[in-house]
Amino acid sequence: MSAPSGAPRRRVPGTSFDAYRRSDGRVGVRNRVLVVPSVICSHLVAERIAAEHDHAVAAPHDHGCGQVGDDHERTERTLLNLARNPNIAGALVVGLGCEHLQSGPFADRIGERGVAVRETAIQDAGGTEPCVEEGVAATADLADAAADADRAGAGLADLTVGVVSSDLDGSTRAVADPLVGEAVDALVDAGARVIVAGTERLAPHTDAAADRATTADVADAICEVGKRHTGRPGNVRRIARHAADAPFDEVVGVWGSMNVDEFIPYGGRASADAGVTLVDSPARFEEAATTLAAAGASVVIHVTADGVPTGHPVVPVLKVTGDGTTADALADDMDLDARGADADALLSEIARVADGGRTASEEHGLTSFAVSRIGPSL
Amino acid sequence: MATFDGYPRESGPAGVRNYVAVIPISVTASPVAEAVADRTAANVSATPHQMGTDPPEAAREQVERTLSGVACNPNVGAALVVSLGTETVDADAVANAAAAAGRDVETLSVRETGGTAAAVDEGTELARDLHAEITDRRREECDASELVFGVECGGSDATSGIAANPAVGAACDRLIRDGGTATFSETPEFIGAEHVLAERCVDEAVRERLLERVNHREATAELMDVDLRGAQPSPGNQEGGLTTIEEKSLGAISKGGTTPVRGIVDYAERLPVGGGLVLMDTPGYDIESVVGKVAGGAQVVAFTTGRGSTTGNPLAPVIKVTGNPKTADRLAANMDVDASGVIDGEPIDSVGERIYRTLLDVASGERTAAERRQLEEFAVNELQPNELAELRGDA
Amino acid sequence: MKGTVLGDAGLHMAAQDNVVTAIDDLDAGTGIPYDDRTVELAEAIPFGHKVALVPLEPGDAVVKYGEMIGEAVEPIAPGEWVHTHNCESRRGRGDRTADREVA
Repeated sequence: MSAPSGAPRRRVPGTSFDAYRRSDGRVGVRNRVLVVPSVICSHLVAERIAAEHDHAVAAPHDHGCGQVGDDHERTERTLLNLARNPNIAGALVVGLGCEHLQSGPFADRIGERGVAVRETAIQDAGGTEPCVEEGVAATADLADAAADADRAGAGLADLTVGVVSSDLDGSTRAVADPLVGEAVDALVDAGARVIVAGTERLAPHTDAAADRATTADVADAICEVGKRHTGRPGNVRRIARHAADAPFDEVVGVWGSMNVDEFIPYGGRASADAGVTLVDSPARFEEAATTLAAAGASVVIHVTADGVPTGHPVVPVLKVTGDGTTADALADDMDLDARGADADALLSEIARVADGGRTASEEHGLTSFAVSRIGPSL
Repeated sequence: MATFDGYPRESGPAGVRNYVAVIPISVTASPVAEAVADRTAANVSATPHQMGTDPPEAAREQVERTLSGVACNPNVGAALVVSLGTETVDADAVANAAAAAGRDVETLSVRETGGTAAAVDEGTELARDLHAEITDRRREECDASELVFGVECGGSDATSGIAANPAVGAACDRLIRDGGTATFSETPEFIGAEHVLAERCVDEAVRERLLERVNHREATAELMDVDLRGAQPSPGNQEGGLTTIEEKSLGAISKGGTTPVRGIVDYAERLPVGGGLVLMDTPGYDIESVVGKVAGGAQVVAFTTGRGSTTGNPLAPVIKVTGNPKTADRLAANMDVDASGVIDGEPIDSVGERIYRTLLDVASGERTAAERRQLEEFAVNELQPNELAELRGDA
Repeated sequence: MKGTVLGDAGLHMAAQDNVVTAIDDLDAGTGIPYDDRTVELAEAIPFGHKVALVPLEPGDAVVKYGEMIGEAVEPIAPGEWVHTHNCESRRGRGDRTADREVA
């Protein structure tokens, strides 16, 4: 266990805000109704339903049928836990009817976890229009109930912050990741939970990564992941290339000086009360943001040298770049230029966004949503 | 001689629609492409997808081939290619493919334009200009032999193999007799019926390739260490009476008709014009499979469905055919052809003739149920890690 | 339609098929004429589902379209419903491959 302990607590400026306390005790910073299709075939209907309500968001995806084994289970686990995200006040499942992930039983499983849920399916409703109509009515009910949610005073300690650094380019390793790492230290010190995505980078550094685990189980899980990624193509080739060339500390700069307290699978829900949870996810932004949301993050920090500008339907995303060209070219799309900022600036941004302030991607309103796959479409 | 009223193109066969396609290079550019299409005209259509910016090489090649094929589909009169600007899938390669096919093309980079909002504004301008370029094109009488007819089945039940698939197969036979191309795919749904298809292959090379592709799909599925059931057949298939993949496959292959199998191409690979019956190696997953065929050049798709799939495509009209009388009634608004009469004794050839007429009418501009509802599902088949490992032979 | 309709109730796709497909929702006790006999339905059979015409033992091929569509995994009597509970695929069985590797 190589991280220093007993570091002094950082004073965090301006970090109280009003947020939504859910029945499971978690704190959300948005109050949204999730309209989730159980299969690609119903995703346009889900989008049309969500478009009818200010507080509704859709999570359109390509999956839910033609998948087998772990690949199917990962999709289901991810969408289920997404509905349990603290930013979500209720969920509507929209099915087709004949798909592998059956919308009715799936909605029941969401409900069993204490989430207000409704369901509709195109084949049951009798076609596209009746299904949209049923879905709009159900969403209105869920949105009405959501409007009663309590907004109460909260602080950083109440937050679950997701982090993904999605490229490991030079500016990311040298400038942006260390800044985020410092903020991660401060968040964990303040009592917040931090969830980090991006495990393909660990392959060349498996032993060093396992040394940062606080338990033997977590160390074993990290070793297992390192083994799986060795020699296998990830879905971001650059990550593997940079990870092999860079020293370990630079590869996991966003971990700050923290150790890893928990390891969860893609789409899994974090259960630790504090500290750092590592989620077994690719670093590709859209897939990582989804699993961070499923894990319970209410805000996500995205480090991007390329300036990937899209947001996510469930969580506000703070875009941090260390790349000068990107910071200049995409000034309206980036929330923080890491070259001229410190960790306090990032923490203030987190607090501002948690208080309801909009991120750059919430300003332009364009989101992308994806779920990572591990098996072939059949 | 059968004809349709289509849009002649500078190169290749005529289109049956005249779209400006707004094609994103990656998931990152997809919302910009959608926003641009939303803000312009009805026949400006986006193809949003979830492919990443830096995929492994074999996956990257497949994405590039698919998007290039989509840009060159005869229904595309002009294309706008949208990228973030850092993708390894080559936006210029996609644009060049469309330009080489004689289409008007523009490219747009979010990074070069200065951000999301600016890119949506500039993209909207570019799409409007492209739309103005092609909007005065007029339909002309074209020979049916110019048609590449894609055939798909989804949400299948027992009626699919009895009624809808053989009826669509009869329409394929008609088109091929008139000199056109018909194609069906969904390789996992050849499993258990491949020996029947193999007997119909025109030569040993096609036969070997077909059997090799079926083996490959079965092997990658087996790598998941589970029974295919659940996925193949799906819960809806099972509720509709289909017990095994073999049963589903034996019903599925009848949708291609009865003519010789002249070839089998890769996912999204260019299909021949005037080529008879040609198979494509795709997943059975409907949206990805339809997109593969549209990328291969199919201008019109027929989609049989017992349970009632409602999906369409952004660039090719999709004709929904059901053989299930309950679905024909309950989902009437989403269906185009009722083939359920077969079960009460209507001859398959007579339903096939109705489908062939519908194909020519739709090719001439009649809008399908999915088009009227703007159901335009789009997804690219992404090669997954275990498929790539299988391709490399180290699984 | 390809095949032969038996007693307005079942579709026999090919002569060698040992199952017949219900072309309506059929009640238990419905008789299906087959091979100079009447096969009486042991249970209600929904539209599109299959009924055994002959006795089948585990391992026997289930034949429809004149082709094998799977194998019986339970003894099946004439008139009984043939579906996923008593008939399984022989193809794409990654579960069996996995079992072999463990064993």
